[in-house]
Amino acid sequence: MGDKSEPTPASASPTAQWAEMWQTFAESSKQMADAWSGSMGPFMLGRLMEKPAGFTAGNEMSEAIEKMAQGPRLADVWDIDRKMALVFGAWMEMRQKLSVYNAVTSAPWNEASKRFVDAMSAMASEGKPVPNWREAFAKWSEISNEELIRNQRTDSFLQAQKELLQAGLKLRNRQDDVAEAASAMFGLPSRKDFDDVTRQLTELRREVRALSRRANAKKQ
Amino acid sequence: MSDQDQASRFLSDMAASTEKLVKATQLIGQTKDEDVTIGTTPKHLVMRRDKVELFRYEPTTEATATTPVLLAYGLIGRYTMADLQPDRSLVRALLSKGLDLWLIDWGQPGRTERWLTIDDYVDDYIDAAVDRICKETGHDRVTLLGICEGGVFTTCYAALHPEKVKNLVLTITPIDFHADTKGTAAHHGFLNIWTRSLDPEDIDKLVDTYGALPGEFMSSVFSMMTPMRSLTKYNVDLIDVVDDEAKFMNFLRMEKWLADRPDHPGEAAKQWLKDLYQDNRLVRHSTTDNTDAVNTNTDAVNTNTEPITV
Repeated sequence: MGDKSEPTPASASPTAQWAEMWQTFAESSKQMADAWSGSMGPFMLGRLMEKPAGFTAGNEMSEAIEKMAQGPRLADVWDIDRKMALVFGAWMEMRQKLSVYNAVTSAPWNEASKRFVDAMSAMASEGKPVPNWREAFAKWSEISNEELIRNQRTDSFLQAQKELLQAGLKLRNRQDDVAEAASAMFGLPSRKDFDDVTRQLTELRREVRALSRRANAKKQ
Repeated sequence: MSDQDQASRFLSDMAASTEKLVKATQLIGQTKDEDVTIGTTPKHLVMRRDKVELFRYEPTTEATATTPVLLAYGLIGRYTMADLQPDRSLVRALLSKGLDLWLIDWGQPGRTERWLTIDDYVDDYIDAAVDRICKETGHDRVTLLGICEGGVFTTCYAALHPEKVKNLVLTITPIDFHADTKGTAAHHGFLNIWTRSLDPEDIDKLVDTYGALPGEFMSSVFSMMTPMRSLTKYNVDLIDVVDDEAKFMNFLRMEKWLADRPDHPGEAAKQWLKDLYQDNRLVRHSTTDNTDAVNTNTDAVNTNTEPITV
């Protein structure tokens, strides 16, 4: 016991200790990643074969990852892996919301195409001269603009863009969690620290300026 | 027209357009950013407070009005829109009428300005600017010229400090943020609809995540207001302007202004989107802090509109 607790010459240096810790961390992370992908890989592959569009319907895959990553937290292990799993889950959810959004935003183009063909056919049947490409494009642009604007005001569009925004923010927040963990590991201040400082600075500035105004008012 | 004639015309049109696109690409390649200048009307710095700067424009003609005019743009986009180029400049037009014109420039807010509120902009920055203008000119009141969100700020200021405001002039300024619900044209009010479609928590999360309302994000929302225009400006629009140097440079100046879209300070953005766009509190009279006084006095601003005197 006594021998084991005594630092060896190599690990006495903080740099060497850090390197040793980092190596241990990297090895354990790799083992965990291997174990995770070993157990999840066949399942993911199977799901991809079933739904090559990418886990869209029901988004079961991201729900499964979410459940796994939201499990009980352990004090000393798995934290970074849990965070990475949450990033992956959020990324998949965002892909799914993006698919829905793309489907909703593609709808007006079909309607615009129909209207454009009808408009061109009507011109031909009325015996009007065939427009040059700029005239035809102007008509296409006008019709498409109307359809796109109409679509942007539908509940389905507004809901899809809201859910895409929510999913994008969730992903960004989870990426930030990983970045925060990395900052902590290297002893760097995080964005949360920066926000705390700027908040204090802003509040302090308000107090100083209020005092200054009061002092000036008294002088007058 | 025979099919052969149509095909021939189509091919010659496409060839001409392709040639113009190539020319546009070459022109853009030959033009340096420093050649595309905006906001060039001469002015000098009078005061700096944090990132906010107060400028006074150099007069271009004999003074015809004595009351100083303070121009305040919004935090979405920059004041350079009011001074895009010499022949398209509100600033130059006002100077040519003999006005003593001042400008408050919010600068480039970032995450550092995350905690600033609309109250800070109205009751601190604008108030300090007005006090400084009065000190420099010997006047006890100014004329406020508010543009877009700057119009809301100046309206609030006029309501809170009527003794310091001689005239209030507003342009493209929203006051009733739910006006679009009262039967306007189909292409109006998209920003209002878009903002109301979000939950208040979404806005909080957006701001908390980025520490601001990102300028690029707002650009993408603005581009949705004119969807086809946004899709065709770098191809068809360029073809239309490539043979006219003045139009081409105007196109690039507009692009420069669009690209210069700072982040909107976070807490002020929450107020702007939630309190005003979603809850319409300037009209609904139901808010807290200084905006209580704003609500009461906005009525006075709205109803006591008198002819402008300079």
